[in-house]
Amino acid sequence: MRPRWRKVLHDLWDNKARTLLVVFSIAVGVFSIGVIAGAYQVISNDMGVSYAANHPANVELRLENFDEDILSTVRNAQGVGEAEARRVVNFRVQEVGSAQWVSLDVVALEDFDKNKVNLLVPVLGAVTADKNEVLLEKDALKKLDVKVGDDLVFELADGLTKKLKIVGIVQDVSTGAGDFLAPPFAYIALKTLPTLRQPELYNRAFVTVAEGGEDIDHIREVGGDLTDKLEKNGVTVVRTRSSETHKHPLGDTVNAILGILLALGILIVFLSSSLIANTLSALLSQHLRHIGVIKLVGGRRNQVFSMYFTLIMAFAILALLIAVPLGGVGAYSLASFIAETLRFNLLGYRIVPLAFLIQIAVGLLVPIVAGLAPVISGSRITVLRALSGDVAGDENKPHKQGGQEHVSWLDALLLRLTHIFAARGIHFPRPFIISLRNTFRRRGRLMLTLFTLTMGGAIFIAVFNVRVTLHDYIGSIQNYFRADVTVDFDEPYRLREVEQFGLQVEGVQQVEGWQYTSIELLYPDGTVAENSFVLAPPAESKLVTPLLTAGRWIRKDDVRKLAISEAALVPFPNLKPGDTVQIKIDGRKETWEVVGIFKFVDQQGMVAYAPYEYISQISNLANQSYSFRVVADRHDRAYQDMMAERLDDYFREQGFKVRKTESGLSSMDTASESLDILVIFLLIMAILTAIVGAMGLTGTMSMNVMERTREIGIMRAIGADDRAVMRTVLAEGLVIGFISFVLAIFLSIPFTYALSDIVSSAVFQTPIKVVFTFLGYAIWLGLVLLLSVLGSILPARNAARLTIREVLSYE
Amino acid sequence: MKTISPRPATPQFDSHAMIELHGIVKRFSNAAGVFTVLKGVDLTINRGEFVSIVGKSGSGKSTLLNMVTGIDHPTEGQVVVNGSDIYTGITESQRSNWRGKNLGIVFQFFQLLPMLTLLENVMLPMDYVNLYDFDERPKRAMELLTLVGLEKFANKLPMLVSTGQQQLAAIARAMACDPPLLVADEPTGNLDTRSADTIIQLFEGFVAQGKTVVMVTHDPSLTSRTHRNIIISDGEIINEAVSKCLPQLRHRHMLQFTKIAEDRIYQPGETIIARDQPVDYFFMIRKGGVEVILLDKENQEYIVSSLGKGEFFGDVELLNGGKAIANVRASGNAPVEVVAIPRADFMNVINQSPITAEAIGKIVQKRLDDHRIADHRSVRAN
Repeated sequence: MRPRWRKVLHDLWDNKARTLLVVFSIAVGVFSIGVIAGAYQVISNDMGVSYAANHPANVELRLENFDEDILSTVRNAQGVGEAEARRVVNFRVQEVGSAQWVSLDVVALEDFDKNKVNLLVPVLGAVTADKNEVLLEKDALKKLDVKVGDDLVFELADGLTKKLKIVGIVQDVSTGAGDFLAPPFAYIALKTLPTLRQPELYNRAFVTVAEGGEDIDHIREVGGDLTDKLEKNGVTVVRTRSSETHKHPLGDTVNAILGILLALGILIVFLSSSLIANTLSALLSQHLRHIGVIKLVGGRRNQVFSMYFTLIMAFAILALLIAVPLGGVGAYSLASFIAETLRFNLLGYRIVPLAFLIQIAVGLLVPIVAGLAPVISGSRITVLRALSGDVAGDENKPHKQGGQEHVSWLDALLLRLTHIFAARGIHFPRPFIISLRNTFRRRGRLMLTLFTLTMGGAIFIAVFNVRVTLHDYIGSIQNYFRADVTVDFDEPYRLREVEQFGLQVEGVQQVEGWQYTSIELLYPDGTVAENSFVLAPPAESKLVTPLLTAGRWIRKDDVRKLAISEAALVPFPNLKPGDTVQIKIDGRKETWEVVGIFKFVDQQGMVAYAPYEYISQISNLANQSYSFRVVADRHDRAYQDMMAERLDDYFREQGFKVRKTESGLSSMDTASESLDILVIFLLIMAILTAIVGAMGLTGTMSMNVMERTREIGIMRAIGADDRAVMRTVLAEGLVIGFISFVLAIFLSIPFTYALSDIVSSAVFQTPIKVVFTFLGYAIWLGLVLLLSVLGSILPARNAARLTIREVLSYE
Repeated sequence: MKTISPRPATPQFDSHAMIELHGIVKRFSNAAGVFTVLKGVDLTINRGEFVSIVGKSGSGKSTLLNMVTGIDHPTEGQVVVNGSDIYTGITESQRSNWRGKNLGIVFQFFQLLPMLTLLENVMLPMDYVNLYDFDERPKRAMELLTLVGLEKFANKLPMLVSTGQQQLAAIARAMACDPPLLVADEPTGNLDTRSADTIIQLFEGFVAQGKTVVMVTHDPSLTSRTHRNIIISDGEIINEAVSKCLPQLRHRHMLQFTKIAEDRIYQPGETIIARDQPVDYFFMIRKGGVEVILLDKENQEYIVSSLGKGEFFGDVELLNGGKAIANVRASGNAPVEVVAIPRADFMNVINQSPITAEAIGKIVQKRLDDHRIADHRSVRAN
């Protein structure tokens, strides 16, 4: 081997710590982009394919009870491919011996073997349920600690319980796909319904279109025709939902999240490239003397260039060897996590060629780009300058100006500040002054380090702000559900009666009866634009505090008037208070006036409010209701749960037919949990950025220490013990960390707005009010200081270990 | 904060001594093998002495200095500085703290910290070893800078003052904690004559205050201003009597003499050389004095000359090959210490060192002339 290539080999091997630092700098960027690009590819491909593989319904119709005849009508309708009818009923269930009730949506099928729409995928045990048997969707296992063969206790409307045997676990990626807030599912045979005191009738139809499964307009048209046809047959359609065969209902949301992750991945590549540039430039600085010698003995510029170019390539290849396999595994893990959370399946582990190529490209190109400038300048240096040792000096070293030496403005400023304080009798310890001024000696390096740490910090803080923003928005649901417990009955009861009984229960302060119904919002041509629930509290109810964006709230004397959530602006962008809309209510087409538009979390679809006074009248339920809101004397979650149990027991004991009781905050919990998953994705990225930042700081501090060994020797020579030397290095790291924190405070503001906008547009389809929290700032301050200490501790220890003879022996 | 100091030396050590080196061996090993840089050095430097250490490049003088400052470890031997054994029972970190309190170091390249002003550089050691009140430190640092004439430059960064001024600031820093020992490694090596002179004057001032100054230098004009000049050659210290008596000798010859020299002590009045007796040694006076005596016609002794520390005798006889031409006797009230070199070794080295031969030749010639006159008097008397 030629001597110069042997030198390259030695450079790689001799300083292992430096080699590792460079390799990891490259690897972290390659790994991140590999994880994100791979996950992006896997999810965007598998989500649609695996969704379609289960033959999802294009049209889901929620109907009043219907039978096989009506199903035949549906099957025979024009444009319908397959149609299946099911009954979906919500039950409270519990494990045998447990006191904890869990809400399940029980789906009853006529024949499991003829299942052609919304296919059930076997996971464990049987795939069909016979009489008095039940299959559980695998998500139910998150809430129930049961296994195949166990009995599951179902609570019936009359308060009695029935046990069904769990015979299998299945996965249903279609039925609840559009709603990751929905309760988990269980599946029974139609003939089991009587056991659960339910009629052997259907209430949902799942329909696929014969053709045009990817054409949403065609699907809506088929759905509209079906609705008309069914209503002509006297069946009320409560709600319709349309979706394309290959498009997972949450696809847009997931793609938006992946888009953010991809943007962050690209950012990480930038950050890691600044890290690489820093490290390579320091390496070249250390090697300038070698370069001088190489040139002195006849080495040409090209030869020097090729040596260091090869060295960089060697770093890059080592990094790729580490990062590419890890990136592949990481990509699949991230994709699995997302798939698991959003209830869809992946097609199996595989190498994603695009991600692989991106990793190779990033892994090779970024180090070349980052290292090119230092390598070129290094190869061009003159022998004299290279050997003079005056090459690794400070960037703010005094320079000649007009024949006199001048210090940089920054040094002058720092000196001036010290003097101003000193003049007032305030003296800083000199070791701290060393740390402070050392911070600004390599300004280029400092800038790159600050860039990485600040970006990491700003993203980190922004993620926390976005989390609070999302929760704040979700929390606004509370404005619409101020009750502590909701009690739903199977039949209507008089308001006065329920109130009188309810107030007997200890802790109950108020009982209020609400009505609800559902409507379809129609386009002018009569087709369905959107389904909407209409909640009907008493107009003067204190249990709703709407967040109005336009118009007013409902009034007692409102007739055919409603306040509607912002989701109505999607089909009707110009909708404003005073406008009228066509709706279908109880099968009748009517024209109602919109009196107000309010903010709401629209994951469940559109919501409207109309006064109880009017809705009870048109539903012939004056002074009666199925649903009651109860206000307790305390409002915390545990108390609400306890009150829900207490009211449930009480009303059942009193002979009321209770369908379910639910605590007020439980729905919010589910919503918050699902948002937290989203926030976790973002946080993973933020932490990754922070790690890159911390690595950058470690690299910078190591390089600083390497370059300042002589000064550390001097400190030791004049009395600095290990702790003093370590403190000097650590303080410098902390100063850098603190500066980055201050910068991150400012940068986090636009980041928060941007991130919040992207996420809220993806999840809620509307920009939401941004909320800032001190938590992110406080955690990041703690974290960045901790990272600064961790990033500096190794270089500091190395600095303290240097013996003075080693560092002064060059003189 | 608990401060661990080096272990106090056992009472066998001399309380007058500031530095005592006992059998110091330093070996370095590298790929090419093991090199012994210091080969069993014994050295004592007393309090209040101004000592220069000289030696050729690679002779081991900086390593020797590193042993004294605690910057490097001896492979064997013991170093006692200011009464403390600095390599037994303390860590490198604790030694740094001890160093800050007990000795000041001045480097050839000044080694001021570039990011601190001169004033801050001088305050730094006080911060490290926590000496003087925090608020008192700026005042003391300013006093020291005033002492070295840098009060106007106190708030300047090192790079903005001349190299001479940087070295003066480095000296002020070395004195920051008022150490009893100042160690300087080529302190004037990078300076012009005028700056060098200023620095030596400062050192002389410190010595006058009772401090000990040890300085490595190449500059003969500086060695002449120190109390003692220690020469180190090939890792060994040259006998000071040899270096003082025969300064023209090459260091290797001095070392050769050092190795074969016999130490002898004569009581006052004791005859060292008797006239007309064969002389087989070359004598160099380390301590005390001798008298060269002839007898007059009345057989009365009269003193031809008196020789003291740093002078030699026996040269005439060895170079002329004859018997002693006069009596040489220990004079004064105290014993005289001499270093004796056997004839053959002396002649061997003289033959290899024409400069020394010439220098000694001149002295021999002068002594012979003096003797001829004196002897003539004695002959005429006869």
